Amino acid sequence: MNKKKLLNKTTNSFLAYAIIILLIAAPLFYYISQQLYIYETDEVLHFHKGAFAKESHKGFTQTDIDLWNKYNHEVMIVPDMGIKKDSIVGKMLYDSIAKEKEPFRVLYAPITINGKKYTYTEKINLVEMEGMVFSIALMFLFIIIILLIGIIWISKATAAKIWSPFYNTLNQIQDFEIDKNKPPHFIPTDIDEFDRLNKSLERLIEKNTAIYKSQREFVENAAHELQTPLALFQTKIDTLTQLDLNKEQSFLVASLNTDVSRLNRLNKNLLLLSKIDNESFLEKTTIVLNDYIKKHLDFFTEQASAKNLTIITEFTAALTITGNPALTEVLINNLFLNAIRHNEKNGKIIITTLKDELIFLNTGQDTPLQIEKLFNRFAKSNPSSQGNGLGLAIIKKITKLNHWEINYSFYNNLHRFSVKF
Amino acid sequence: MKILIIEDELEIAQSIKNYFKSNGIQCETAETYDLALNKIDSYDYDCILLDLMLPDGDGFDILRELKRKNKTDGVIVVSAKETLETRLEGFNLGADDYLTKPFHLSELLVRMQALIRRKNFKGCNTITFNEIVIDIFSKSVSVNNIKLDLTKKEIDLLLFLISNENKVLSKGAIAEHLSGDMADMLDNHDFIYAHIKNLKKKLHQAGSGDYIKTVYGLGYKWENE
Repeated sequence: MNKKKLLNKTTNSFLAYAIIILLIAAPLFYYISQQLYIYETDEVLHFHKGAFAKESHKGFTQTDIDLWNKYNHEVMIVPDMGIKKDSIVGKMLYDSIAKEKEPFRVLYAPITINGKKYTYTEKINLVEMEGMVFSIALMFLFIIIILLIGIIWISKATAAKIWSPFYNTLNQIQDFEIDKNKPPHFIPTDIDEFDRLNKSLERLIEKNTAIYKSQREFVENAAHELQTPLALFQTKIDTLTQLDLNKEQSFLVASLNTDVSRLNRLNKNLLLLSKIDNESFLEKTTIVLNDYIKKHLDFFTEQASAKNLTIITEFTAALTITGNPALTEVLINNLFLNAIRHNEKNGKIIITTLKDELIFLNTGQDTPLQIEKLFNRFAKSNPSSQGNGLGLAIIKKITKLNHWEINYSFYNNLHRFSVKF
Repeated sequence: MKILIIEDELEIAQSIKNYFKSNGIQCETAETYDLALNKIDSYDYDCILLDLMLPDGDGFDILRELKRKNKTDGVIVVSAKETLETRLEGFNLGADDYLTKPFHLSELLVRMQALIRRKNFKGCNTITFNEIVIDIFSKSVSVNNIKLDLTKKEIDLLLFLISNENKVLSKGAIAEHLSGDMADMLDNHDFIYAHIKNLKKKLHQAGSGDYIKTVYGLGYKWENE
């Protein structure tokens, strides 16, 4: 979904409201002003007629009326048109000055002069009104727009100011990572809600960091504490191995040997994971991965020989990276051993280096692995496998630490692990 | 040959003692810091195994004391705590080797022998077993004065076997010895079978005795016929 910004959202509703009001108000205002003007014009017409009836006409003869009509264009006394009472109509009449038809208000009123009935007519041009109403409307619009712009701008500015502690908090939370030792520092605010938000977040983070830390320490301590009993276990098995054992006993000791070395491996991997967490591998150098792979190819070929695997290397580019040498070695060894471990008899491994990517392709089970759980600790796709389920977790951790990207895909019956540097 | 084992885990010290005894190595043990300093003051040892974590003191202090007395020759640090820093500090203070717990007794033995060899036989560095002569410097092996064409791994394996004469070596111990730092990741030790087979064949072709015995299910043993 297209996400909107908080500030835009408030301004947008403001803007929409303003536009709606403007759209409705402009014609309404035009109409009302027009009506008002017409009303005023009509008042003037009635007033003129009243004044005329009161004073001027009493002694008018027919000749006076003709004369009046000759010099007056607006007010005319015409023979009775059969009008009973005053009436005003709007009309389009030809204007001799403008030489076109223009809107007029025309008053027809019955009038009696010297005992004879006439009709009083008076017209007023409305063209002036049109212009006036238009300019008033324009002015009105202008004021409204200025007002709106002001309101929107001010609201935006104040909103930005009001919400700034919120945005600060948001950014800090966004950058926060529980495994990094950098708790966020929220800027103090005088807005109660934000202050509460910050305090709650601080408490939440503090609590979670403490839990995370103690869990991490627990893993580390447990792994360290296990070293001594493991050493005891190992030396005793070594001693046991030297005794004169019968066949059954030999097999038992041999399997004990396998078990203890599995335990060892598991413990060392746990230690490695917690060491990565504790940022013990900070110093970085430039490493040419092709060289490293070439150097250790014999070792891995030896490991792969039990399954009769074919290892193909395609060094299309010299892949040079910056990273911790020890961790980078662990990364590649794990990828390599993973490709060997989960391979099938007579399978193959293809290692490709691109300019910024390392790809391991290997044959193996003919269904894709479950990507969601793949990189989790102790997530074993095959419960019977010799792996301890930490190899890929370690790979993931190393790539994350270095901001590299590990990806898994499956096609053409090949499992593909790639690290993008 | 006399060595001192400074180790607070008595059972580990005892296991080392037992394992080394039959190879003619006399072991003394010290389970505390004070006892260790006492023994170092009173006697000279060919080699000292030093556990860094002692109940009443820091192993590094013992190293410093040894350095002050100019006795750091032949110290192997054994520790459950393995970080690059402790390793470097160990070497800086004059330790010759560093072994992380848990370890195979066979690995400890071969490292100790290598250390003592380096210390005692400066210049001439060969190991002789009947008709087999291994030159450590030139990394070459000859049987009845005829040079053998062995790979680096095979020479390594041969040394490991001879150093652990009469001991049963598990496949795991051999695999870990041969693969060094990579050993932690290996979940399959079958690859050593090929090395053993090749080494056996080459020795046999050169007219050497059949010293490598297969201990059924467990591993291999170097034994004088």
